[in-house]
Amino acid sequence: MTANQTILSLEGVRKSFGGAEIIRGVDLQVRQGERHAVIGPNGAGKSTLFHLISGSFAPSAGRIRLRGQDIAGLPPERVNRMGLARSFQITNVFPRLTVRENLRLAVLRMHGLSYHFWRPVARHLAVNDDVDRLLETVRLAARRDVAAGDLNYSEQRSLEIGMTLASRPSVILLDEPMAGMSQHEVDYTVGLIQDVTRDCTLLIVEHDMQVVFSLAHRISVLVYGEILATGTPDEIRANAAVREAYLGEQTV
Amino acid sequence: MSAPRLIVLAAACIGIVALPWILPAGQLVAATQMLIAALFACAFNLLAGQSGMLSFGHAAYFGVGAFATIHAMNALGGAGLLPTPLMPLAGGVAGLAFGVVAGWFATMRAGVYFSMITLALAELLHALAPHLKGVFGGEAGVSAMRMPAWGFTFGSETEVYYLVLVWVGACLAALYALTGTPLGRLALGLRENAVRLRYLGYRPHTLKTLVFALSAMFSGIAGGLQAMNIEAANYVLFEIKLSTDAVLFAYIGGVNTFLGPVLGAAVLTFLSHTLSDLTRSWLLYQGILFVLVMLFFPDGLAGLVRRAAQSLRDRGLARWLPPFAVSAASALSITAGTVFTVELLQRMFARDYRSLLAMNPGSPWPDIELFGHPWAPLSPSTWWLPAALLVAGLLAARRAAVMWREPEAQHPATTEATR
Repeated sequence: MTANQTILSLEGVRKSFGGAEIIRGVDLQVRQGERHAVIGPNGAGKSTLFHLISGSFAPSAGRIRLRGQDIAGLPPERVNRMGLARSFQITNVFPRLTVRENLRLAVLRMHGLSYHFWRPVARHLAVNDDVDRLLETVRLAARRDVAAGDLNYSEQRSLEIGMTLASRPSVILLDEPMAGMSQHEVDYTVGLIQDVTRDCTLLIVEHDMQVVFSLAHRISVLVYGEILATGTPDEIRANAAVREAYLGEQTV
Repeated sequence: MSAPRLIVLAAACIGIVALPWILPAGQLVAATQMLIAALFACAFNLLAGQSGMLSFGHAAYFGVGAFATIHAMNALGGAGLLPTPLMPLAGGVAGLAFGVVAGWFATMRAGVYFSMITLALAELLHALAPHLKGVFGGEAGVSAMRMPAWGFTFGSETEVYYLVLVWVGACLAALYALTGTPLGRLALGLRENAVRLRYLGYRPHTLKTLVFALSAMFSGIAGGLQAMNIEAANYVLFEIKLSTDAVLFAYIGGVNTFLGPVLGAAVLTFLSHTLSDLTRSWLLYQGILFVLVMLFFPDGLAGLVRRAAQSLRDRGLARWLPPFAVSAASALSITAGTVFTVELLQRMFARDYRSLLAMNPGSPWPDIELFGHPWAPLSPSTWWLPAALLVAGLLAARRAAVMWREPEAQHPATTEATR
C-alpha cells in the first residue's frame, strides 16, 4: 500500500432531494490502495453517496476530488474515463447479450474502440484476450455464451464485478456485491475482491459485517447522511458511538 | 454458417441474379422495388431492431436521398454530378448529413419521445416541401434522366435492375459487416441498457447519433436508387406511408434477424404489387398480417422460418411433417375464410353496389360475382362457406398447437391427425 496518499476525497458533500437532505455534510478520505468500507443502517444514504461519487447526480454542495481533480457534477462517462468504475446494487447488465458480449462492451473503450465501425471486433485480439482473462477471473468462462439475463443471481453479481474491473480503473466502487450470495459464493467473492484490488483502491458498501471486517482496511460509518466515525476495523469495533448507533446488540 | 443455410442463401442469390430472364418484362420493375425496399428496411432495422430506437420518420432520410440524387442527376446542365452508376452516393451523403443533424436532436430523448421527434421531423419536411419549389419542385416534383455511362445506356429495366442489385448487395454486406464491429456491438448495448454504457465510459448520445446517421445514410442510398429507378422525386416521398412501410417491413420480417427486414420487404412489396390489382383491400390485409405477426410471432417471418427449421432438426422429417401439414392447412383455411369475408363485405359496401340498391329500393339485393360464382349477400347459405373455413381453420390451429407441444419421441398419434 502506498503511504497514506489520498486518492478520493469528499469535503462537505451535501445532497438534498426536494426538502429532504439525504447527505448532510460528508467528509471522507479514501487512501490510495486501501480497501475502504462504508457501513450504516438502511436509509443512511450509502447508495446516494455512491451515486454522487460516480456522477449519477451532482451534489448540492461540497467537493469530490479524484486524484486532486474535482469530479463533482461530472457525467458518469467522464468520471469513468478518469479511472473510477462502479457496480450497482441492483444488477445492471445487458440482459439479452451473452456474458462474453457484456464483458466485451465493458472492455472496448479501454482499447480506444468506442466508435470504430470499420473493423470486426473479432479481429481485435487484445480485446478478446482481456475478455477471456476477465471470464476466468470472475469464474464465468463456462457460462460465456449464456445470455446475461439467463444467469443465476450470484453469477450476475460476478458479471457486474467483471464489468466494473474491465476498464482497469484505479478506484472501484462496489455497491453490495455480495447481496443474495450463498456463503460459499461470498467466500469466493471476498477472495476475488482481495485479488483484484491488489493494485487499485476499493470503496465498498456491504451489509455482511463479517465480510466488511475481514476485507476492509478502514471503515466509515454513515448514519443519517453524516460520517459518524472512520477508522480501522478494531477502532470501529471499539467506538462507543458506533456501537450505540449502529452495531447495537449484534456486536461482531 | 450451416450447410443447409448456405445452400438456401446461394439459391436465393442465383435466383435474384437470374431474375431478368425468369420474369416477364413488366414484373422486373416490381423486383427492383423489392430490392430498394429491402435496403430501406434493413437500414431502418439498424436503428430500430439492433439499437432499440424506433424511428417513425424514416421516410425523411429516404426522401432526402432521393431528392439529392435527382438534383445530382440534373446538375451541370443535365450532364450529372457523377457517372450514373455512382449517383446514389449523392443520396447517401445527403442522408448522412441530414441524419447527423436530425439524429443529434432526436437521440437526446429515448423511447416514445424519440419516436415522436423523428415523426415530427418527417412531418415537418412533408409540410415544408411543397412550399420550397426550388428544392422539391412543388406539387409536381422534380424529374431527371439517366445518362449513359461506362458503356451502359441505362435505358432498359434490366440494366437498372442490375445496377440496383449491385448497390443493394454492397450496402447489405456493409450493414452486415457493421454488426460485427465495435460500433455494431455497442449498438446492441444501446438497445439493452444505454444507462449502463455511461458507467463504462461511453457517451450514449454520441453512439446513438452515429448509429442514427449511418442508418439515415443507407436509407438515403435507398432513396437515391429509387430516384434513379423512376427518374423522378416528389414531396409525396415524405408521407407517413413510407415511414410506416419501413416499420411494417422490418417487424413483419423480424427485427431480431439480420435478414428479417429483407424478407419482410420482399414479401410485402411482392404481395402489394401482385395483389393491389386483384383487391381493393390490400392495406387491410397488410394490417391484419401485421397484427397477427405481432400477436403470435413477435420474431416475425424470419423467426417463424427459424423455428420451423429448428423443429425440423429436432424432430426429423417424419415427425415434423404432420404438425407442419396441419399448421399449413389451418393457415390456408383461415386465410381463405378471411379473404372471402373481406371481399364479399367490401363489395356489399362498395359505393356502386349501394347506389344500385338505392335505385331499386323494393327489389331484393342482387347477387355479387366473386371468384367466378354469384353469391346472394343476404342468404345464410352464402356465409356458411367462410364460417366453415374459419371454424375448421381454428380447430386445425388448436390441433396443431397440441401436436407441436408433443415431445419429439411420439407414437402413432401424429399419423392419425393428418387425416
